[in-house]
Amino acid sequence: MKNLVDTIIRLGHVDRRYIFVIIAVVVMLPLFFPLNLPIRATESTRVVYESLENLEPNSKVLLSFEYGPSTKPEIHPMAVGVLRHLFRNGHKVYVTCLWPDGQFMALEALQDIAEDEFHMNYGTDYVLLGFRPGNEAVVKGIVSDIRKMYTVDAHGTLIDEIPMMNGIQNINDFDFLFTASAGYPGTVEWVQYAADPTGVPMSTGTTSIQVNEVMPYVQSGQINGILAGMPGAAEYEKLIDRPGIGTSGMDAQSVAHLVIVLFIIFGNISFFLERQRSKKY
Amino acid sequence: MSAEIIGAWIAVFLTFAIFSYLYKDNPFYKIAEHIFVGVSAGYWASMFFWTQIQPNLFGRLWPSSEYNDSGFWYGLYDLLGTVTSSAVFPAGGIDKGHGMHLIYLIPFALGIMMLLSVHSKMTWFARWGIAYTVGMAAGLRAYGFLNSNVIGQIKGSAVKFSGDMPFFAMIGDSYFNSLILIVGTISGLLYFYFSREHVGLLGKVSRLGIYFLMISFGASFGFAVMGRISLLVGRFTRLIDYARVEYNYASIWMFVIMVIVLAIWAFKSKEGKEASA
Repeated sequence: MKNLVDTIIRLGHVDRRYIFVIIAVVVMLPLFFPLNLPIRATESTRVVYESLENLEPNSKVLLSFEYGPSTKPEIHPMAVGVLRHLFRNGHKVYVTCLWPDGQFMALEALQDIAEDEFHMNYGTDYVLLGFRPGNEAVVKGIVSDIRKMYTVDAHGTLIDEIPMMNGIQNINDFDFLFTASAGYPGTVEWVQYAADPTGVPMSTGTTSIQVNEVMPYVQSGQINGILAGMPGAAEYEKLIDRPGIGTSGMDAQSVAHLVIVLFIIFGNISFFLERQRSKKY
Repeated sequence: MSAEIIGAWIAVFLTFAIFSYLYKDNPFYKIAEHIFVGVSAGYWASMFFWTQIQPNLFGRLWPSSEYNDSGFWYGLYDLLGTVTSSAVFPAGGIDKGHGMHLIYLIPFALGIMMLLSVHSKMTWFARWGIAYTVGMAAGLRAYGFLNSNVIGQIKGSAVKFSGDMPFFAMIGDSYFNSLILIVGTISGLLYFYFSREHVGLLGKVSRLGIYFLMISFGASFGFAVMGRISLLVGRFTRLIDYARVEYNYASIWMFVIMVIVLAIWAFKSKEGKEASA
């Protein structure tokens, strides 16, 4: 028994680099050998799906990209899933970006989904308005007069020359707002300056770390559901019946979480045993 | 060798260079860190200039729709185009769909004043620009915060204790969940009430508030871990892609080379330390 306690205490002081290696291995193994663990949609993901599913055909949806390469694994699968859902249901998509990197993410997603998969026409089915600096001031600008904020789109084409911009003056001309957000400026600013003051329905997809910050808006009904990190993306892919990058990463995510939980339990046992021993002597 | 393959090798090198910090601080990490800072600064400056300053500031001061080559204003414009770049100041004015708005000279002046902070004797000029930015941001945020975070959240916490709902449910409306929400909100808020000593009933309620806050922090920690693992999964997925023959086994080669170089570096550093001791 004493040997076992000694071992546990000794392992409690193991060099953290061994833990990094173990985490790397357990994340990588399921990527090579998928376990196909079941994915069940949570209530908040289902609300997002139903909000978009219940839109009238030909609705105008404003989709905002607020993330970059550093958070791409979490947010990009959601953006792709939402675009796929919107085009499948025949909606018009207007893309804005509050982050400069967001424009590149939007270009990639639109290339893959709008052009290669659905063969949509630029300017009549979707438009990339692009990035404008100014954070919440940009949201405020879109709310009051989008034509002052965007005189040209991301490709330099005058807004007046884009057919689907006819009749679009401000946020009230959109039927729905979805933000794919990784921080500031993002979901919170869209709630504060667009959705709440105007009543335009809104949903969001955020990084896991933001979920606790955004969840109060979901609970109070200011946002219709939330896609929470990579699991949210995987659940959404399941609901639209198109498994993608989100789904493929979930095995690794689940196994890594299990190992981290075991480390936390083991660390606590080691800590308490050591404390008990130091009290004894 | 195509640009895509070169890009993959660079991406793999930078990824491993950043990961190498988990071993310890080393030259690979330093290289990646410096490249990241430099590229980010350059990228943001360029992006801001070409999406805001050139089209929305210069485009409103010298729009092509009002171009007049004989006047002073556009004469100045042509001079700027000659001494700087015709890409920034193209011949015939800037066509970005704007009319002329000379009021934009004020933000232009404020922007230049902010840049003067680099000169020690003119630093005070920057305060004007900063004062405007702070004032504007405070005014803009005040309304949004009050409307969404104060009024919206008070409405959201006004829970139901009547109607057709079960006593207990894991998700959705129930009497039990409503009770938890109201007790959690009140006790959590009372924990931050510092005008009275936390003893007696107030002490007990605020202690309950701490437990609610701890549960919230635990959830935040869980989400933070989930987020980091998601990013790791995304990065590993790319590294596995780049380990394929199409990319000349970039991930494998780079991993082996970096491990060997790091081992030599660690050995030499140890030798150097021993020699100096």
